[in-house]
Amino acid sequence: MENPIDLETRPDCAVIALHSVTREYTGHAGTVRALDHASFSIVAGEWVAITGPSGSGKSTLVNLIGCLDRPTAGELRIDGEDVAKMSATELDRFRADKIGFIFQQFHLIPYLSALENIMLAQYFHSMTDEKEARAALERVGMGHRAEHLPSELSGGEQQRVCIARALINNPPILLADEPTGNLDAANQKIVAELLQDLHAHGHTIVMVTHDPEMAGLAQRKIALSHGKVFCHPVGGPVVSLRK
Amino acid sequence: MSRLSMGALLRRSLIHRRARSFSALIALTVSAAVVTALLTLYADLDSKLHHEFRTFGANIVVTASDSSKGLPSDAIGTVRTAAGADANAAEFGYAVATTDRGTPVVVAGTDFSAVRTLNSWWKVDAWPSTADPSAALLGQRAAQFVADEHNLQLTFGDRPITLHGTGRLHTGGDEDSRIYVPMQVFTTWTWAKPSVIEVQVPGGEARVESAISRLRQAMPEAKVQPVRQLVEGESRIVDKTHALMYGAVLLIALTVAVSVLATLSASVLERRRDFALMKALGGSHSTLMAMFLLEALILAVGGVVAGFVIGSAAAWTISQLDFHTATLPRLGVMPLVLLLNLLIAAFAALLPVRVLRRLEPAALLKGE
Repeated sequence: MENPIDLETRPDCAVIALHSVTREYTGHAGTVRALDHASFSIVAGEWVAITGPSGSGKSTLVNLIGCLDRPTAGELRIDGEDVAKMSATELDRFRADKIGFIFQQFHLIPYLSALENIMLAQYFHSMTDEKEARAALERVGMGHRAEHLPSELSGGEQQRVCIARALINNPPILLADEPTGNLDAANQKIVAELLQDLHAHGHTIVMVTHDPEMAGLAQRKIALSHGKVFCHPVGGPVVSLRK
Repeated sequence: MSRLSMGALLRRSLIHRRARSFSALIALTVSAAVVTALLTLYADLDSKLHHEFRTFGANIVVTASDSSKGLPSDAIGTVRTAAGADANAAEFGYAVATTDRGTPVVVAGTDFSAVRTLNSWWKVDAWPSTADPSAALLGQRAAQFVADEHNLQLTFGDRPITLHGTGRLHTGGDEDSRIYVPMQVFTTWTWAKPSVIEVQVPGGEARVESAISRLRQAMPEAKVQPVRQLVEGESRIVDKTHALMYGAVLLIALTVAVSVLATLSASVLERRRDFALMKALGGSHSTLMAMFLLEALILAVGGVVAGFVIGSAAAWTISQLDFHTATLPRLGVMPLVLLLNLLIAAFAALLPVRVLRRLEPAALLKGE
């Protein structure tokens, strides 16, 4: 459901803005429309939960917001830039600057220590800085495990390292894909608290989740069904894409 | 402080996947070793093969146009000068004498010292001493025509001579039916002159032909003929050996390339998620490909270093066993070995690089 928003209220705050974004995949079986004319905006500092059943288009949406993919049609602006028009190289650079990824399966490089995994994000962004990387680990309560390999860390610890890695280059957007999907209750609580803390410090968080409890922590939810934005918005600030 | 560099990443990655890295390194080492060994041997092949062919005896025969007159008196000196310093030559004179059993036998006068060098392939029990003017060498069959080879009595026309056999000769050819005596004894006894000079010129067909034309110029009154079969055979064998070595190098390179291709492909497939993550963190296609190709390059260079040492040792051993001479390591083959290994690694990396290009980080990181 398209929902034109009042641009006049918060024109400078839309860190993510989709206007009639469509993503289609063409395969042997024909063309599948994974995202169908999606339109919404997310303002800076907002915590948004994206929910929906499997196959609803959540992953497609995350790929687009994460600059890992480009829309087939429509306009997608991130931090004011139209990513649909960027070249692959520009998109790589843009992604390193603007997006911090938090994955369900953590995806830490197995042969690098916790500290080096964070420095890897610095390496692909600009320059490595061990002091900053250690500070990021301290921030998620993992300073004492800096030299440990991922295989020596618990799931919750790996997810905290993953969060520290997402934060290291100060991206305006944190994109969390089922951040607690692989964690037990205790670690889920730790990660939830971390995200709350980050939100309190002004980070914009876009979180895909199946977990109603986690979704409840967000300021608002964007529900997807069959590629359409189904329920939007549920409270929070309102921004229009129209210029 | 920067402690995470491309080099550190590559090193850690190679060590982490040590079994896979080792397997690729082994393949590239094998290729470098075999190519080093073949190229090292190849560099020496001509001289070694020609050296081997020298043991087959003469490849040029100089004969008197009129066998009854024989060759000029200093023919052997002329031949040696014209054929070159590294040529071997031995003169022969032939006559038919009668043994003490009344059996006709071919007696050949020659210089034992020169024949021994020229026909090193002859099987001789004991060579006659050059200092012993009455020593004779009896062919295996000729020995059966005499009553006592230690008291050898021969008659040429009405001129008898007594010699003593020192050993027997086995060649499987006409030589087995002859009795060889010192040239000076032969000429004094039979009054015949040397009529044949056998010459062995080292080198390929071209060198032999060149020697023939010099000999023809120097001795217009004599017939100078190549032992065609041997000269052409030698040339054919050298050419075929070269072709065989090239073929072996290509075959090995191809086999190793397929093996390394499989290893590198498996390596990329194993690490698709790592590469996808790096891409999600902002790594460009070119950076990821550079990382991957650099990894293949490190393995190729490592393979060359280890392969050169092993290959040089193998070449030395083969040379010792087959040619009885040492072949020292040749640094000159290193650039070729390196080039070949880099080509193999580059070829083997083609498919994995395609996999990298088609990487879909979103799906991979989602676990799909």
